[in-house]
Amino acid sequence: MTRMNRLGDLERSVMDLLWDADEPQTVRQVHDALCAHRELAYTTVMTVLQRLARKGLVAQLRDDRAHRYAPVDSRDDLVAALMVDALDQAADPGGRRAALMNFVERVGTEEADTLRRALAELDTKQHPR
Amino acid sequence: MSALAFTALALLLAGPVPAVLARASWPLRAPRAAVVLWQAIALAAVLSAFSAGLAVAAMLFVPGTGGRPAATVDAGVASLGWPLWLALFLVLTTTLLIGFRLVAAMVQVAIGTRRRRAHHRTMVDLLGECRHDMADVRVLRVAEPLAYCLPGIRRRVVVSAGAIHALSETELAAILRHERAHLGARHDLVLEAFVAVHTAFPRFVRGSSALGAVALLVELLADDAAVRATGRGPLARALVTCASARTPAGALAAGGPSTVVRVRRLAGRPNSRVLAIAAYLTAAAILTLPTVAVAVPWLTELHRLFFAH
Repeated sequence: MTRMNRLGDLERSVMDLLWDADEPQTVRQVHDALCAHRELAYTTVMTVLQRLARKGLVAQLRDDRAHRYAPVDSRDDLVAALMVDALDQAADPGGRRAALMNFVERVGTEEADTLRRALAELDTKQHPR
Repeated sequence: MSALAFTALALLLAGPVPAVLARASWPLRAPRAAVVLWQAIALAAVLSAFSAGLAVAAMLFVPGTGGRPAATVDAGVASLGWPLWLALFLVLTTTLLIGFRLVAAMVQVAIGTRRRRAHHRTMVDLLGECRHDMADVRVLRVAEPLAYCLPGIRRRVVVSAGAIHALSETELAAILRHERAHLGARHDLVLEAFVAVHTAFPRFVRGSSALGAVALLVELLADDAAVRATGRGPLARALVTCASARTPAGALAAGGPSTVVRVRRLAGRPNSRVLAIAAYLTAAAILTLPTVAVAVPWLTELHRLFFAH
């Protein structure tokens, strides 16, 4: 596995941990929780948390003694935003179009009826009674 | 008067020809050949425009004494007269501007597309769940049926949990085959070129919506791959289920005509080999004629410009 993939996996594990936690976590807490599964350097965990903070995914909170980290958005909010982003990019008539390719464009209720009729037509053609 | 001929050809290939092709219905039955034809038209339009520019440049720098090009503006003006010289100069400037704009748009679209894609992939990798049986697939925990792919070297197919729940195994297989056809054939690169043209060219040229036509054709190509793997029924049902799903708040509701066209096409007549061959031949002719017409006068002009004694 390449280094990039390992970092990606680690970011994922850290985010999962922060989302599941009830309160902001210190680097030590995150490190201890992750070390239950694998060998990890304390500094690596710190680097990953700082990277996530730079990406705007976690917030660094100043405590009296240690920095604590908390996710900025909930997982559900991010998934919802990702889905909106995917649909918007694919529906964009201009420059944003080539970034990702949607399976199908969403239709309104009227066109949905047209679609169902077209589907019925295909079914009768394939299985004539 | 090659300058005039090339200008006319470039304008024809940039305006009326795409407008007619975008309205035609035969490409639905020969999508691969139609994509090639679109590419040939776009390339030939660019070639003709550059040829017009070069022909004009050759006229501006008219042969002076002893056949050498007149290097000074004065000599050019003296032999052509002010009005014609000015008109030619404007045409040349416009051609150069269009060329620069096209290159700039290509760079801009390439960078923007990759940046957006990389950001989206980072989030997908962070939020999506891996399927142990399919390494390139990520599942998003979303109730609405949804599927798309992120092309590139680190490609991903993204499907929602809602899609897995709402679709049968064959229907899901049709979707995955569709998305992998996009990824394998790099349809995104075809699309990207037309996005760049769409961004670069002035409004009056791009009104014919070559981009929209090519975007649909690329979907048809992926649909055909899915049909070969699973048959028409499963793909059609998957299309209708995903297209009729509620669009979440905040997302653009895309126009649906292309979706209706795709489903109707599955119920219609199959692809035609005759149409495809005709389209390939037309594409070859469109590319060959300007190229030959360019090459011959160009070479003589270039020879005159650089090797005249």
